[in-house]
Amino acid sequence: MKKKDLYTKEQKYHQEANHTYSTHTVTQIAYSTDARDFGQVAKSVPCQDACPARTNIPGYIRCINEKRYGRAYELNRGANILPGVLGRICSRPCESACRHGEPDNGVSVGICHLKRACADLKSPMHRIIEGLYAPTGKTVAVVGSGPAGLAAAHDLAILGHQVVIYESEEKPGGMLMYGIPEFRLPRDLLMVEINNVLRLGVTLKTNQAVGRDITLEDLQRDYDAVVVATGCMAPRKLGVEGEDLPQVYDGLAFMKAVNAGEKPFVGKKTMVIGAGFTAVDCGRSAVRLGAREVKLCIRKTIDHMRIDDTEKHEAEVEGLLMHSLVQPSRIIGESGKVIGLELVRTRLETIDEPPYKISVPIEGSEFSLPCDSVIAALGQTPDIPHISSALGRLDQEKLTSEMDKVFVAGDFVTGSSDVISAVAGGRACALAIDQHLTGLKRKQKVVRLESHASTDRPRSYDFIPRVDMNTIDMDERLKNYTNEVETGFKPDQADEESKRCYLCNLVYEIDPLRCIYCSACIDVAPKDCIKMVESIPKNPDGSYAPYEETSDWDRVVSITIDNHACIRCGQCHEVCPMDCIPVTKTELIEMDTEE
Amino acid sequence: MASTDHYVIIGNGPAGNAAAETLREKDPDCRITIISDENIPFYYKPKLTNFISGQIAEADLLVYNPDFYTDQNIRLRLGQRVEEIEARTNTLYLSHMEAVNYTKLLIATGSKARVLPSMESYAHCLSFITEYEEVVAYRKQIRKAESFFIFGGDLVGFRFLKMLRKMGKQVTLMICPHAFWPFNITEEMQDTIAARLSDTGARIITQDDISHVVEDNGRYTVTTQEGQGVTVDMVFSFNGLVPRVDFARGCGLDIDRGILVNEYMQTCLDDIYACGSCAQIYNPKLNTYTTSIGWPNAQTQGRVAAENILGENREVQAVGRKYFDLEGVKIKTTWWEDYDAQDDNINLG
Repeated sequence: MKKKDLYTKEQKYHQEANHTYSTHTVTQIAYSTDARDFGQVAKSVPCQDACPARTNIPGYIRCINEKRYGRAYELNRGANILPGVLGRICSRPCESACRHGEPDNGVSVGICHLKRACADLKSPMHRIIEGLYAPTGKTVAVVGSGPAGLAAAHDLAILGHQVVIYESEEKPGGMLMYGIPEFRLPRDLLMVEINNVLRLGVTLKTNQAVGRDITLEDLQRDYDAVVVATGCMAPRKLGVEGEDLPQVYDGLAFMKAVNAGEKPFVGKKTMVIGAGFTAVDCGRSAVRLGAREVKLCIRKTIDHMRIDDTEKHEAEVEGLLMHSLVQPSRIIGESGKVIGLELVRTRLETIDEPPYKISVPIEGSEFSLPCDSVIAALGQTPDIPHISSALGRLDQEKLTSEMDKVFVAGDFVTGSSDVISAVAGGRACALAIDQHLTGLKRKQKVVRLESHASTDRPRSYDFIPRVDMNTIDMDERLKNYTNEVETGFKPDQADEESKRCYLCNLVYEIDPLRCIYCSACIDVAPKDCIKMVESIPKNPDGSYAPYEETSDWDRVVSITIDNHACIRCGQCHEVCPMDCIPVTKTELIEMDTEE
Repeated sequence: MASTDHYVIIGNGPAGNAAAETLREKDPDCRITIISDENIPFYYKPKLTNFISGQIAEADLLVYNPDFYTDQNIRLRLGQRVEEIEARTNTLYLSHMEAVNYTKLLIATGSKARVLPSMESYAHCLSFITEYEEVVAYRKQIRKAESFFIFGGDLVGFRFLKMLRKMGKQVTLMICPHAFWPFNITEEMQDTIAARLSDTGARIITQDDISHVVEDNGRYTVTTQEGQGVTVDMVFSFNGLVPRVDFARGCGLDIDRGILVNEYMQTCLDDIYACGSCAQIYNPKLNTYTTSIGWPNAQTQGRVAAENILGENREVQAVGRKYFDLEGVKIKTTWWEDYDAQDDNINLG
């Protein structure tokens, strides 16, 4: 039995329970609100820190590995109410931060594909877990049923408030329903996850547009609080000659038409202007509508495109051509029809403060290419005046407007972002409203620390190649617009990919009081992750700053594991003759403040 | 006083070697290091097909005799891969974690075979002829194999086909419209090429594409989208080249298809230059970035880069609009369609 001297440092925590397993190993659990522990979790678990909703990624991947798909799904739902949706269309900031993708470590874990696997592989009758609070008697109107509105409505309903959603369109979902093509997001799956919100007693009123059918002032009068979560629906304009020609579409309007089953004219050659997900969605949709040549016109380089590698790959497979370092200067028309696009070439320039690359048009470099249609997918902005001119200045931190009781959430307040950020924004707004209505802060983030008996994975897992997503062939894609391109992981593929996760939430620390400075851990470390240090300075927020290393034994105060570099191979833990490298499972969780 | 400058060149092809020679000629005292992940000194890539057929020996592939680098006092580090460039400290790291400091760095890594996005799932079934080590690995297998499937087709591909036919092998060639990506060969061009190549006795497929490839017991069955099935011993892909720049991503260099450089071959980072087919060079006459292929272009750019490294201010000569003859069809030598976009310009009267 290994002795677990876990919590010798000064922390604000309380012991919850001592649990005895069959191995007679004592598990200790503690909860901390110490800034150092929040800093440690952020540094140690980069995927979770990068996720705007702070999804417990190592936690759910471990559940997949144990074939507990329902539990994995619920762990996702704890942070994000749309795991099946986000498992298909998330922008994946977690994968960019994944330690497995760092230099020398290989390729990042397919976190998003595994998220989808939870939704696909769980039992269709698995138990949804919702910790309901008693009814408060308060009413809240949510304007908009996109990801931010749904997330706010869900959390407000959980907290005991009576919620009514006002949706301007015929169906709920916002951009998810109208902006994203069905070949990436099946609508039956979307409706299942929306209905999981509605079944909490949330009322949905569709075809009810604020500013058209009802005013914000009406809602302000009739409800105890109002959330405006209408996202960004006003398209950015190209601002060039020829923009009003009938074969020139804005990206969102084009996608709405296609998703409604219409077939907007694209002709044989289509030019799409933009470098994000919507631009690629428009291009891929144009291919399905019969365009023989689709070009994406990008102002910067391909590296600057705001899409992930999987999306880039699928776009290339479907024949989309990337035309980088250009920007439109004119749309050429003849007899009321688009016949070409004039572009000007650009070059990159660095702005030093803050460091950022901008594209600069090159004077005199105009040229034109023939085309039959142009889709301008430049993103959208919030349509604030259309909702109410009384909203005034929006406070991005407090999520309030200048109208009493009227809160704002998601892209409407932050500007155009991504779905997972909108979900996180909706949840934050729900907490702000709850505090406004009850005068209480009923939930808080806490770091849960649990002693852990093993490393949970062998080193050989580090060398498993990333599992590719299964997709349908091109002819199947073109046969029917709604045929989903990605078909998900089979259970054995999900199992294989889940093994690749380093489980960064397992943190290794050397107990300085028991360490005999034998260096055995340094000898077996595959990375430069165990450091001889003379000082561990702290950041202003209380988290640890980079170690001050030394090679002079006289100055060494501690041998320390750098959990930022550590790949959790567990070899130090195995080799330590003093058993002084315990493993601690650290999780960022949400708890009731009362508990 | 002897120069203490250390010029490091990544890449051992015509661009890198031309640069090294120019540096030595103009600065007899400087340190010059060429780093290459290949295990052979500078060699003639176009002769690889002759090497496969046994027409020439390995020694005939080499451009210089083995004493050349010693005589020139150029350090050649073969079989060593650059993992990372740290521009802030003028340091690069090799895959075995060795740090190499440089005064100026020239990237001349050339290009590698392009795998069609639709074929990435079958990449393990495909063979390529772009590097010496690939050829060494395949040479015996090629001699032993009886049947081949070639898809794509470019100059090397067609030369390879003719060589196989001379060796008496059965060859099926699928000419793909995107073999010269991003320049698409029209159906008429494909027919012209097919007519010229039919004399070789190869079976030629046009206006079709690969659906999937299945490996079974060391043989490969290629099924086309039109439903044709061909079982062969080896499948070769010739679908153009892409710059070898992956190792340089994330170090702060501006990279589009290739590394973006100005007309003086300077990248956006101090002390780092790039040339040859891994670079996308700004052409002030065309007001755009162009990429070039071919031995003479690479040598010219290597020399200009070296002179600018030494403080001169030479503009690289604009890449002319060169065309080459591909079995009766004229194909542009530039890679990126926008280079010749003027051809498609709409006459606005």
